[in-house]
This record gives sequence, C-alpha cells and structure tokens, in this order.
Amino acid sequence: MRQFSEFTTMFSLSELPSPGDVVIVTDQLLSPADFVIHKTISSHFKDVGKAKCLFLSVSESLARLKAIAAKSNVNLAQHLQSGSFAFVDVGSYIEPPIDRAHSSHQTLLRPLFDLTSERLSEWSDEGATPLVVLDNISALEWIGFPVSDILRFLRALSALCRKSNVALLIRHHVATPAEPDDITRLLYQLGTYHLEVLPLSTGRSGSVSGQIALHPGPGISQPVQRPIPRSSAVQYRLTDTSVVFFERGTGSTVL
Amino acid sequence: MSSFKRKTTSNQISNPIGTRVIPGPVSTFITSTGVPSLDDILGGGLPLTCSLLILAPDVHTAYGELIQKYFIAQGLACGQTVCVLDDNAKEFVSECMWIPSHATQTTGTTAPEDEEDETAKSHDAKIKIAWRYEQMKQFQTTVSSTSQSSDDFCKVFDLTCRIPSHVLQSGQLLSLNITTHTNESSTRRILKSMKDILESEEVNSYKPIRICIPALGCPQWGDIEPEDLCYFLQTLLSMIRNYPQTCLSLSLAPHLCTDSWGGPGWTQKLGWLSDACVSLSAFTANPALSAMFPSHHGFVQIHSLPAPYTLLPPSDKFSTLRGLSSSGENNLAFKCMRKRLIFETLHLDLEGGVGERRTTPSATTMAMESETHAHHHPHTPGAVGPSGSEGSAKVEVQLEDVRENVAKVMIQEASVSQATSSSAFKKAKPKKRVAFKSDRPDLYDF
Repeated sequence: MRQFSEFTTMFSLSELPSPGDVVIVTDQLLSPADFVIHKTISSHFKDVGKAKCLFLSVSESLARLKAIAAKSNVNLAQHLQSGSFAFVDVGSYIEPPIDRAHSSHQTLLRPLFDLTSERLSEWSDEGATPLVVLDNISALEWIGFPVSDILRFLRALSALCRKSNVALLIRHHVATPAEPDDITRLLYQLGTYHLEVLPLSTGRSGSVSGQIALHPGPGISQPVQRPIPRSSAVQYRLTDTSVVFFERGTGSTVL
Repeated sequence: MSSFKRKTTSNQISNPIGTRVIPGPVSTFITSTGVPSLDDILGGGLPLTCSLLILAPDVHTAYGELIQKYFIAQGLACGQTVCVLDDNAKEFVSECMWIPSHATQTTGTTAPEDEEDETAKSHDAKIKIAWRYEQMKQFQTTVSSTSQSSDDFCKVFDLTCRIPSHVLQSGQLLSLNITTHTNESSTRRILKSMKDILESEEVNSYKPIRICIPALGCPQWGDIEPEDLCYFLQTLLSMIRNYPQTCLSLSLAPHLCTDSWGGPGWTQKLGWLSDACVSLSAFTANPALSAMFPSHHGFVQIHSLPAPYTLLPPSDKFSTLRGLSSSGENNLAFKCMRKRLIFETLHLDLEGGVGERRTTPSATTMAMESETHAHHHPHTPGAVGPSGSEGSAKVEVQLEDVRENVAKVMIQEASVSQATSSSAFKKAKPKKRVAFKSDRPDLYDF
C-alpha cells in the first residue's frame, strides 16, 4: 500500500497537460487509452478554475463521455449548457474527399482549425483555462484525408495552442507498432510529452489491463514530469469508470 | 393493516423487445446474436447502439455469413425489425436457421444436443473415474444455452431447420439493395439510405432495429478501397450511436479481412472502427491445424469488445469463456456441428495437441530404441491378470518400417487360456483411424 501511495504522488494524469503543453497519447487496440482522455477531462474540470474544454471527436461518443464523467462527479451536460464544454463531432463537420486521386489545393481540415481558433479566442477573452482534446487523428487518415493535410493541420493546431498557452491532447492509434507512419513521426517531434499506452506482451489479463510509459518530447529540456521509460513502465488496471496505477510486481494478484 | 408493502414493478419501464439490461453506470440494453457462446464473449450480448464486425478470412468457408444468419434469425424470432443490406436479401434470409418445431411446442426444454455430444456423454458415462473425482463438476468448454433460453432473449436455433415463409412475410424484414446504376459510390449511397430508414423506423422505441450486412465489400458493392471501407464503418458507427434502438452486425467479404488487402495494420484499423470485432479463422486452408485440433473448425480471435458506457468492456467481467475474471484470457475456438455453431475454449489434448489417444508407444521413443524389441522376461501369474492364472504371455513388438512411423504389434501367445488371449488381443488391436497427413496432402492414411 505504501508503494501505491508513493506512486500516486509521483505520477498523476491530472497534472499532465499543463497550459502550453502538447501531449501525444498513443495506444494500441489491446490497450485503448480512453481512460487517459476521460481522466484528463474530469480532472481539468475539477482542479482548474474557469476550466473550458473543446473536444474534437472523430470516434468517441458524447453519451459515453457523459456517463464516465458522471462517475467522477463531473456533470458534462451542465458544462455543455453553460458553454464551458464544447463537443465537436468531426465526422459531421468535415468529409473526406470523394475523388482522392485529384484532390484540390484547398485544405480539407481548414474549417476544423478555424473553428478551434475561433473558440479559443473567445475563451481567452474570458480569461479561462482551456483544454483542447483531439480524439483521434489516426481515423482521419484511415477514412481518406490526405496525410499532407493532416500533417499541416497538426502543425497549425499545436502552434495555435502553444501561442495561446492552451493545453492540447492528441490521441493517435498505432496500427503498426513496429513501423511508425508519417503522422506518428511528426507527432513525436511536436509533442511536449508522449504518453504511450502499451498492451502486455503476454496478451490480455484480468488483473493488469496494460502499461504506460511517458517520454519527454525533443523540444523540452527540463521535463516537469518524471519520464517513465518502457523498461520500467507503470501498469494499470481499469475498472468500470476509473483506473488504478501500480508499479510492476505490486498488483493484487502478485502481492 | 400491515405497514409492510410489497414492492410493485408496475411503474418500471419495460425493456425493448428481445433485450436485457446489464447493470452499469448507465443501464445498457443488450440483445442476443443468436449464438449463446458468442453472446458470452461479448459480455452477455451485443449492446444496442453498438456494432459487431465479424472477420472470416478463409475464402473456402462462410462462417461470417453463418453468424449473420444467426443474427437475423434471432432478430426475427424475438420480434425485432431486421434490415438486411444485400441485393439478394430475401434469398439470404430464407436460408436462415430456425427454432426446431418440438422446441416451440415445449418451452423451457433443454437445448437440442447434437449426436456428437450425446455419444460423448454416453461414452463418458462408461468411463470409471477415481472416486475422489466423481463428485466434481464435469469440465466444460462452452457455456450452456439452456440458462439463457428461458425467454425471448436468445432462442435455440437448429441449423437443420429453415425459416418458415410466414416469418419472412411478417413485415419485420426490411432490405436495401446495394447495386446502383448511378456514378455515386455504393458506400455513400447506402449511408444516406440507412439514415432515411433509421429515421423512419425510430418512431417505435420498444422495437429495436437490427442492421445486418452479410458480406460488405463483395462484388455487388463495386470497386471498394480501404479508405472507402473505413469511412463507411466510421460513419455507420457514429450514425447508430445516435439511434438508441439500433444495433449492427456485419461481415466483411473474406478477401478484405486480411492485411494483404488493406495494408499493414488493417485488422487493427478494423478493430478500432467497430465496437466489437472478432475474427473466425477457419482451419480449411491449413491441414496441419485441422489435424492438430480435430474437434474444432477454427480459431477465434478477439480484436475489440463493446464498452458503450464504461472504460472496461463488460465482457471482461462477465464472460465465462474468456475467463479474464480469474486469470489470463483463454484461447478460443469454434466448431460448427450438424445443428449448431459453438464457441468454446481451446485446450491442448493429451500428449500436447494430438487429437487421438495413442495406446501404442510414441514414434519418437520407438525410433530411439532398436528396430525390433523382443520382450522375453517371464511373467508372474499375478501380472497377467486375474483370469490368466496359469501360463505366461510372450509379447513381441516388431517394427516394419520406422521411417513411416507405422508399427504393427504382433502378439504371440503361449499356454494362455482362450478367454485371456481374446481379451488381450482386443486390447492390442490397433484402433482404426483416419488421418490427414500434412506432409503428404494427397494421401489418406487409414
């Protein structure tokens, strides 16, 4: 138990995206990083004064966000009404090009960027502390948006958030862990931190859901958060609506 | 008058037809896929607003379509609306399995067991096991269908029965043609039509709608690219989330199920683009696997599982077959018998994966020994057996060809009583077997 309390003080998801940070969250199919997204939003609303959140959702549903946030005593429906939480269904906002071979010069993701910038300027006037969550960027590539457009959008979005001192969290599904694709490579360069959610190499387990590693990005000289290398990755276990972290070898089945 | 009052359930909202509630932060309605063991893997059933994607990469079999037929039959049997997206939807549905007539007459009876099961049971009954294990529960590799067949939730279907024509004309069945004569891509056109159907059907909130796509990407869909398919799945996923009474089950055409079509990481992408994604890899393409697992027809691989309102999929807690509540995940396989399809846990048989029980010494030990092994030591009367009280037996085992691993056991008997000799011969007689050899696929070994 001592180890667990020590660990919670040295690592907490709530501290992760501080203003101006770009946090890249990568996950794999056997270990979805949903818990990082949900936990970050809940703790942002709980811990930060004048908290605002813009959620750019490609695949996450609002109903699920609300249900899980409710268990953390965050009423997202109320925040939606008051305007402190904005949910953008990216799929209904932009569409991939029908004819991919002859794509026009117009960037398809521009409307999404304009929307974000507009919303952030509104909130900065109010003196709020916004958080922008993009869940997820990989599905945009899969459904047919050109990679060059996505790369431009990512660069622009991270620059915008850094300029306006806004925390940004970008989730990316890694389909080929052995060979990082172009988007993954760019994200490694952009991010202040890279939170890697990994499955267990031995497959699914009832007592350990997966493990996480935290790498500082190339642009950060003195990381505030203590890096967690893969070799000593922290394990976690999911419950219905929350997550429990523990160091290797301290799980309930081991002790 | 007593102050105690019985709790009444009159003001409780009744479930939509053919659904159950699973407890959670938000009550979720689940509905059955028609296969009880698949329901167990999904955590009790497929939640409404969720999609189930079945990948069956083997081109010689149609297990993906079989799952879809179960899904349709279950929907029709419990009174839900079923929408099939196929050019030959009526034909496809008419081939669906149905509830056997004797099961409909006597409700609550046990599930019809296959002959294989029955013979296995009678065989098991004859085996005398040690007294200390007699009281133990029999080892089970799958979940029973009887526990869930009490209501409309999961009917017991028989693959030998066909769906009656009056069910097809009952108005529960909707269909949507795929082939189009316009230039518009089939996926985008279907998405529009689907939205129209869902909007018109959503009025009745107590009658869930099942959407079924038996073979997405088959020739009637025209030229389809991986990006089109991803866009279709992604849009469909977010569409059905807006209609709380809808669930979706689809199978991909076999050639689209592998990474060779969609590029590296294709199955991972498919897993992300659906709520539940399960692969059924049949053994037909690999005779070595069917020889190793003779009682199964393919492996089951789980890519993703539905978790509509929780972080942890309900399956992790509730699934008996996956067994995550106690330890690591079980290996799963499926088999299709004469009357039903079953998903069950996969175990190695005796002697590490060999399907038959070998009474002869294994080939490796025999190769290590000399080619002919004569057994000459005298037997004491007690060692032969109770009936062989007089005389001794001389047993000689000869190997004709060690390289072919075929052993013939010759037993020479001397001065042993007739009864003993006949029983001994029965024991030593090699059991006839049929095996398919992987190294020589053109030969059957009898």
